[in-house]
Amino acid sequence: MVTAVDAAAVVKPVAPQRGGLWRYILIRLVLIIPTVFILVTVVFLLMRVTGDPITAALGGKLPTDQLAERIHEAGYDRPLIVQYAEYIGGVFRGDFGNTITDGRPVVTILLQYGSATLELALYALIVAFVLGIPLGLLAAYRRDRWQDAALRIAAILGYATPIFFLGMVLKLIFSVGLGVLPASGRAGTRTELALQSLDGQTGIYLIDAIRLGRADAVGDVLWHAVLPALALGILTAGIFLRLVRTNVIGTLGSQYVTSARARGVGEYRLVTKHAYRPALIPIVTVIGLQIAVLLSGAVLTETTFEWKGIGFMLSEYLKARDFVAVQGIVVMIAVVVAVTNFIVDVVAALIDPRVRY
Amino acid sequence: MSLVHIRRGRVGLAVAALAGTAVLLAACSGGGGGESTGSGAGGDLIVGTTDKITFIDPAGSYDNGSFAVMNQVYPFLFNSQYGTADVTPDIAESGEFTSPTEFTVKLKDGLTFANGHKLTSSDVKFSFDRQLKIADPNGPSSLLGNLASVEAPDDTTVVFTLKNGNDQTWEQILSSPAGPIVDEEVFSPDALTSDDDIVAGNAFGGQYVIDSYKINELISYKPNPDYKGALGAAENSSVTVKYYADSSNLKLDVAGGNIDVAFRSLSATDVDDLSKNDAVKVVDGPGGEIRYIVFNFDTMPFGAATSEADPAKSLAVRQAMADLVDRQALSEDVYKGTYTPLYSYVPQGLTGATEPLKELYGDGAGAPDLDKAKATLEAAGVSTPVTLNLQYNGDHYGPSSGDEYAAVKSQLEEGGLFTVNLAQTEWVQYSKDRTADVYPMYQLGWFPDYSDADNYLTPFFTADNFLVNHYDNSAVQELITAQASETDAAARQSDIEQIQELVAKDLSTLPLLQGTQVAVVGKDVDGAVLDGSFKFRYAPLHK
Repeated sequence: MVTAVDAAAVVKPVAPQRGGLWRYILIRLVLIIPTVFILVTVVFLLMRVTGDPITAALGGKLPTDQLAERIHEAGYDRPLIVQYAEYIGGVFRGDFGNTITDGRPVVTILLQYGSATLELALYALIVAFVLGIPLGLLAAYRRDRWQDAALRIAAILGYATPIFFLGMVLKLIFSVGLGVLPASGRAGTRTELALQSLDGQTGIYLIDAIRLGRADAVGDVLWHAVLPALALGILTAGIFLRLVRTNVIGTLGSQYVTSARARGVGEYRLVTKHAYRPALIPIVTVIGLQIAVLLSGAVLTETTFEWKGIGFMLSEYLKARDFVAVQGIVVMIAVVVAVTNFIVDVVAALIDPRVRY
Repeated sequence: MSLVHIRRGRVGLAVAALAGTAVLLAACSGGGGGESTGSGAGGDLIVGTTDKITFIDPAGSYDNGSFAVMNQVYPFLFNSQYGTADVTPDIAESGEFTSPTEFTVKLKDGLTFANGHKLTSSDVKFSFDRQLKIADPNGPSSLLGNLASVEAPDDTTVVFTLKNGNDQTWEQILSSPAGPIVDEEVFSPDALTSDDDIVAGNAFGGQYVIDSYKINELISYKPNPDYKGALGAAENSSVTVKYYADSSNLKLDVAGGNIDVAFRSLSATDVDDLSKNDAVKVVDGPGGEIRYIVFNFDTMPFGAATSEADPAKSLAVRQAMADLVDRQALSEDVYKGTYTPLYSYVPQGLTGATEPLKELYGDGAGAPDLDKAKATLEAAGVSTPVTLNLQYNGDHYGPSSGDEYAAVKSQLEEGGLFTVNLAQTEWVQYSKDRTADVYPMYQLGWFPDYSDADNYLTPFFTADNFLVNHYDNSAVQELITAQASETDAAARQSDIEQIQELVAKDLSTLPLLQGTQVAVVGKDVDGAVLDGSFKFRYAPLHK
């Protein structure tokens, strides 16, 4: 069966129209603003459903008069529309307020922990590519045989298994059972200390470890990334596998592949040299969608492996009912997803001009 | 070779190189990031904890995680020596009441902070004044309720003027979260100072300085050579504290030798499991936390505000409950020994602690006694079964609260004297409801502000106690007031013991369990001291 995505992959691109491309980019760019605006509004309202954030975080911990004082100081006793206007104004100025539980600027938290999540997402994407694409090609090459069936089942299991469950299973096997991989953290304590002493840290441990110039630190960082990257990457790998397989099979039915086959080109060469490149194009679009999946999955993976990134912090602040922090983090994730999708749309439009209309 | 082939070849080469490098480097890392510990006097140690820091400014936090940092890096006028709950002068030379309302402290000569600033009485006055001025809702300023003013007549003399004279808890308060002495040249007098500014200012005068700081992730401590207090120098070269979110990860790391010490808070089952592990040692000591049931004297069965109000019957219900609870079973079955049975209001390990409930209720030796409970209810004319509405909270006192109260319910229902309706409420609502007479009897826990029996009596058994459970016994009230200002230690201890006896007869609350402090250390680690001060000091740890 050839899907719409497969068809997009196999149809030859038409000549791009410059004016159409710019118009498309402009429209997509303009659409981001209401999208983000709606997201911020929805998140703001959801965070107020259970009352003001001060009561949510500190209710029961402070005497009633002190609680009221804090609520007044923070302005949560004012009309909702006034609070909303202030919040929106703050967001546009890049000010997401201060957390309630530890008083830190939310922006600082976003900057400090965002790099850790970015690093994990990149590792997961590498896992997805390294596992998904070759196995997708293999499944296409061995289509309708037992290898294909096994890989398809594995792919379904990969993306159907809840991330936290997969993380726990990996941890139980490799950390608790076999004791060969670390169960938590982004690096060993001494490596973290060394990284902490580095001037101008990027927060991406692999880069910082390379800058540190110590092979053991780089190795330690990569070693700690294995399980979280697998837990998060296997889901996307399953999707990539299915996508590559379907598209390669579709491409194998196209005219130019048939011509190549008629010239006596072997099936293996057809798959690896003629069919896989066009089959990779839809993955660009899927990566955009997967960014949202990876970021939401990061909350569970980071929590399971104590990978101290944005997802981990979101979970911690949720537990503490610090809805100011939660609000800031969720808005940031929403903005990242919206912007990523914009970039993916533009890239997809560059690759395939038909998507502009 | 086509351009496509060249590109693909390069990409393939890069991926292969990256993968190869990763494998090689992972191999270089020693097969999994295992920790190599440094050497030096006493060694470099890594401590793991699940505690969390709010602020390291003493005016801005009042929680275990933040206080654990303060205990290592700030100097205190008074402190407890290792192994005891009682306090003695630390950076002070002496301290005593020079009049009923004046407590005069003489500082040791030549004190300095690690940054070179002199530590004088002016810093001490500054530290207490700013606590009162900032009065942060998350801070410990409420502990200084009896402080009227502080004066610094010369560089080494501090005079605290108190509102109520002869306050026998004052030395303890000086060692409490309200007592760290801070550098007036670094800290703001009227606002919280950020952690980064404190660390950058090296404003430390305790046993350690902070070498590097990443909140709730990693803190590295180095011994402070300028510390001249009574606790002495650190016996290790450095301590790094790693913060965990999940106690199971803490357990895995201590069991695997990735950290040297795990302190707060391993689950009961993890401690039980680790106690069978030859690679580690389990160290325990008395804990300050207590867990108990509060009785609302108005709304409990036969309570003063009920339609069937009868003080004698109400007391009989409380007594029968005390006869039936099996603390040992709670301790062993639910908490695997990480909590121990509590037969009084002041936990064991503190001066003045007794165990009156052991003799008064149950079989007289601490075990339950159904016949005695039955007889108590019959003597008071109480028809059985009595319906008890017992409330507990599942999200504030740890995940085992559900098991604990399920066990309490079955213990009370054993023999058919009581029917227990067990209900749970989320903490925020729970906190509001418990003081609004909503719950006839309910679960609470307590962790002390300072290690003195008073902190387990005054908040609970005065007429305007924080339980708001309508308990009012004038004899108890008088004794509580008397012990607070009794200068004779023996007489004060006698007062404290009498209070426990009287309250045990009234049963304003039903004590169940006392927490145990537990640290798990590597086989090569010594010096872990867990005592009645409830302060875990890193300085005596060594390999």
